[in-house]
Amino acid sequence: MSDKKHEILLVDDHPLVREWLASLINQQPDLAICGEADSAQEALDFISMRNPDLAIIDLSLKESSGLELIKTMRAAHPNVAIVVLSMHDERHYAERAIRAGARGYVMKRETTKKIISAIHQVLSGKLGVSEEVAALFAERFVDNKPRTWTPVEELSDRELEVFRLLGQGLDTRTVANRLQISIKTVQAYCARIKDKLNLANATELLREAIRWNESNAA
Amino acid sequence: MFRASSWFEWPASRSRRENIAIQSGIVLLIGLVDYASGWQVSWSTVYAYPVALTAWYVGIGWAYALSLLSVIVYTAGDVATGFQFDNWLIPVWNALIRLVLYAILIHMLAYIRSLTLGLEQRVLERTAELRREIAERERLERELLEVGERERRQLGFDLHDGLCQHLTGTALAVQVLSEKLTRRGIPEAAEAGKAVDLIEDGIALSRKLAKGLQPVEMHAGGLMQALQDFAAATTDLFKVSCQFECEAPILFSDISTADHLYHIAREATANAIKHGHAHNVVISLEARDEGTILTVTDNGAGIPMPLPKKRGMGLTIMAQRAKLIGASFDIRPAPNRGTVVTCVLPHPAGASDAVFETNKERDPHYV
Repeated sequence: MSDKKHEILLVDDHPLVREWLASLINQQPDLAICGEADSAQEALDFISMRNPDLAIIDLSLKESSGLELIKTMRAAHPNVAIVVLSMHDERHYAERAIRAGARGYVMKRETTKKIISAIHQVLSGKLGVSEEVAALFAERFVDNKPRTWTPVEELSDRELEVFRLLGQGLDTRTVANRLQISIKTVQAYCARIKDKLNLANATELLREAIRWNESNAA
Repeated sequence: MFRASSWFEWPASRSRRENIAIQSGIVLLIGLVDYASGWQVSWSTVYAYPVALTAWYVGIGWAYALSLLSVIVYTAGDVATGFQFDNWLIPVWNALIRLVLYAILIHMLAYIRSLTLGLEQRVLERTAELRREIAERERLERELLEVGERERRQLGFDLHDGLCQHLTGTALAVQVLSEKLTRRGIPEAAEAGKAVDLIEDGIALSRKLAKGLQPVEMHAGGLMQALQDFAAATTDLFKVSCQFECEAPILFSDISTADHLYHIAREATANAIKHGHAHNVVISLEARDEGTILTVTDNGAGIPMPLPKKRGMGLTIMAQRAKLIGASFDIRPAPNRGTVVTCVLPHPAGASDAVFETNKERDPHYV
């Protein structure tokens, strides 16, 4: 390991968390906080001035979305590694954050024990997520219902259209209006899509549709 | 057929002028019959009928005029049939006596009429007052429910985003301390480490509380997720089968609406298990042409129909919640056994396509 410390930017809008997380990180022999920000704009300004090795980002920032920040950073500064710190449950959000470009996800309630190891993992090029999330990802990969690589091509044109519109955040009735079909028909399509893509319920269907939409837009 | 009221109410539908003409006509008609039947048969009391109707429906003045007309017609009839009075004072006296009788009738009717009208007026006023009071009370009830909900959500939010963050900061501070102690080789470092664990337990606890207070997360898919979690938790906790069924994604741009539907579903499920002893509960959320439909169906003991007058608070609050978000609420026995609760939320008029898209943009946690 070189003598040079890894420089870390901290993006969180809670002062107390920022202050003590900075202290904790600065205490590590190989890590140093090089800057703090409490909004997405401030973070981006800082990064373009000084290129940190890693950024710790809270998903819920004042007046802006941490996810959007991650996407912008991945596009503009791909060399800055990102670890997400969030109040929200990893089961619901970790995959989404990783997909957006983060390399690690730590829940705030576990920050104390996990953040440092997550940072080290990410800095060494690995994923910095909890064992549970890692297991979840592995399961998805190995599972004989591979959701991430679902053959969306298997969907008929009409089903794909419904899937795409749902992914844009439209609700069932609006989709029906757009395609000039009845709500019942939309529901029938949804049932078939769920079957084909092996999704358990409408929540998963929605999540999958949004995910697919985002990866296709990117 | 010949109800007494129909003899006295028919002039009500006619105008004042028509009534004067008709009543005068009746007087003349009676006069004609009176004349034809000769002077020995007396018809004087029959004239009281048009006079009374005029007094009630037209007014005292015209009633007097009609009385005078009656007396003239009556006397003229007698004279015309050739009756000879011993003294000219006698017919005058008779006419006066009859006039006095009519006057008494007219004034009694006028008095009764004023009483009746006054009563009607009071009933109307009281009814309007009652209606106002009921409306006010309903508004208050709604307000109360809404205030409670708002407070609950706010409390949940404060716990989640305020207290939990604060505790996270605290845990970090103690961790910093613990590491410093360790580095100096002070054995109390282990105790500081324990304190970190305790604080983290505290975070988990307040998160749980926050979740209870604010079960529906603030994004368009929040209700689906919350109902799914609720169904899973209910299955676990009560050892019953609780399923959430939802074919196509149902999204809500308004957290308050989603929240009320969630609580209706929760209350209905709790009732099914607690009172109906159901083993199977299905919560379903569905979009149809008439609106978004929430149904909770169970296989329990069912409910009596018609519903008992004195119902539990649960039912009343469910109905109140539905009313608050503009949804219909219905509870009835299921076809075979058990109960089915249905809530139909009409689609918002002219909802734009952009609602959920903008919501998604703004909301970092849109799933």
